[in-house]
Amino acid sequence: MAESAEIATTAPLPASRRSGFHTSGAVGLALWAIALGVPAVLNSTWVSVAAIFAIYAITALSEDIILGRGGMFDMGHAVYLGIGAYVTGILNTEFGWPIFATMPAAILLAAAVGALLAAPLIRLRGDYLLVATIGFNAIFVLAMQNNLGGITGGSDGLFGLDVPRIFGLQLASQPAMFWLDWVVLGGALLLMRNLERCELGRTLRYLKQDELAATTLGVDARAAKTLAFAIGAGLAGLAGSLFAVQLSSVGPSSFVFTESVTLFAIVIVGGQGSIPGVLLGTALMFVVPQIFRDFAQYRYFVFGFAMIVVMVLRPQGLWPRRRTAV
Amino acid sequence: MGIFIQQVFNGLTVGGIYALIALGYTMVYGVMRLINFAHGDLCILGAFVGLTFLTGTAGSGHPGAALLLLAFVVSIVVVAGAGLLLELVAYRPLRRADRLAAVVSALGASVLIENGIMLIWGANVHVFPSGLLPATTWVVAGASITFVQVMIIAVSVLLMAALYLFVHHTRFGTAIRAAAIDQDTARLMGINVNRVIASVFVIGPALGAIGGLFIGIYYRQAYFTMGWTYGLYAFIAAILGGIGNIPGAMLGGVLLGLFNAFAAGYVSSSWQDAITFGLLIAILLVRPTGLLGERVAEKV
Repeated sequence: MAESAEIATTAPLPASRRSGFHTSGAVGLALWAIALGVPAVLNSTWVSVAAIFAIYAITALSEDIILGRGGMFDMGHAVYLGIGAYVTGILNTEFGWPIFATMPAAILLAAAVGALLAAPLIRLRGDYLLVATIGFNAIFVLAMQNNLGGITGGSDGLFGLDVPRIFGLQLASQPAMFWLDWVVLGGALLLMRNLERCELGRTLRYLKQDELAATTLGVDARAAKTLAFAIGAGLAGLAGSLFAVQLSSVGPSSFVFTESVTLFAIVIVGGQGSIPGVLLGTALMFVVPQIFRDFAQYRYFVFGFAMIVVMVLRPQGLWPRRRTAV
Repeated sequence: MGIFIQQVFNGLTVGGIYALIALGYTMVYGVMRLINFAHGDLCILGAFVGLTFLTGTAGSGHPGAALLLLAFVVSIVVVAGAGLLLELVAYRPLRRADRLAAVVSALGASVLIENGIMLIWGANVHVFPSGLLPATTWVVAGASITFVQVMIIAVSVLLMAALYLFVHHTRFGTAIRAAAIDQDTARLMGINVNRVIASVFVIGPALGAIGGLFIGIYYRQAYFTMGWTYGLYAFIAAILGGIGNIPGAMLGGVLLGLFNAFAAGYVSSSWQDAITFGLLIAILLVRPTGLLGERVAEKV
């Protein structure tokens, strides 16, 4: 039944459902606007936690495009975050590019690498794709550590990135960085919302439900999946660029395999293909551990325990995707 | 020539260990289609339990060989128990759920065990006591081969032969193979699939505990993040041989051990891991079913 509903809904939606969409969008917009006021209320520690939340939320959303929507088991997503961060770091510190000029390059290179790596691998069974992406992640980190091409700064990484400047304005203060990150997060959320409704989004949903039926009807599975991979990787590249700016340094340890595991888990724990789910997952898996810094010794033990408990009690995720026909 | 023979023996030793650990991955994957990410950490738990037993009983006057044997028994019992508990608590409730839920549960279990080890034994590197085993060294064609290496290779071969005979020539082994092909049909044939899955979570971790303790004895050290490294290598070995395929895991382990030894000996140790992962990706691209073919029935 679900499949037939999926195909039939190229027609306009009933008004009731449309309004439902608008409500969730309006609530989201209101929450986002309220969040912009964080620097006015909270102290600097919280402002930087909120800024980092935005960066990881963008990354987790980009992982959701590949894993949650595309159904491709990408367990090396930190690679694209890393590519974005290194592109910005290298172009800025070694070649003197302004930060904002490095961002398109960060997006493009991450997207290109994502598409190139994915194209030959997406025909593999899910578990093999997962293992291959783990392999890429390990190779990427080693290449950065071993100072590939003499420009990655080895295991120390790169330091002293410039602050972003726009129209002669320096975005050097913590609130300025925060607003930059949150504006990009707003853009990423808009992208996710449009992806939901556009042809690629519907194609991916169809492929995920029944790839055989979709390809029989002439859907080019390989093209759609490669495109999804490239978009996800590119968005992660942009997040990586912001990450480098936020820390004003880039090092290999931020992009190790464990980070990829966390991103993967965020999507599954939060709810695949669910925007609020992914945001909730990010808050739980990246921000809560920051808050419990004082219990450093126990926090990952509890973290692992929580992952099992959430999955056993809510295998579909904490905030699963609504079952809409769209 | 001496270096070559040396690397062959080093590779066979490490390969035997990889194979012992890989068997746990491949058996679980064969029966449940689940990558048990916690397996590597279970193996290292075995190393820590064995180490604690050995340091606790050192100087008690009992013969070293007997204590070492007991250390193996204790760590097998503890790790197999942990494996069984893991299956019951973290995997059994998710058998009918989305596969990714089980994957995340397995990742959570891995984080839990790894950090559990850290909480109990600390984050520092533990050194294994020396003098547990004779320090005899033989020189063969310019290469020196230690007693520990010979023991590891011999025990690994024996255990693998025993497992092969068990799975292919006993009634229960047949039940395991049947459940791996089709659980529902196996159930209709009167096979207790729950028992089969539980048994896989006892046999795999038991062999893994031996592998983990071998790692400790061979490298003379144990630290809490070791599980990921060796677990990943062993998992690559399982894929190399063909996932779900028991002789494949053995062959994959030995080949990967040799490959690693030569990569470290002749190329560069700082790129050793990258070369291994490059090999993994090459296999997946060229022959994803592994060298001996996977034994996994694809569900349509």
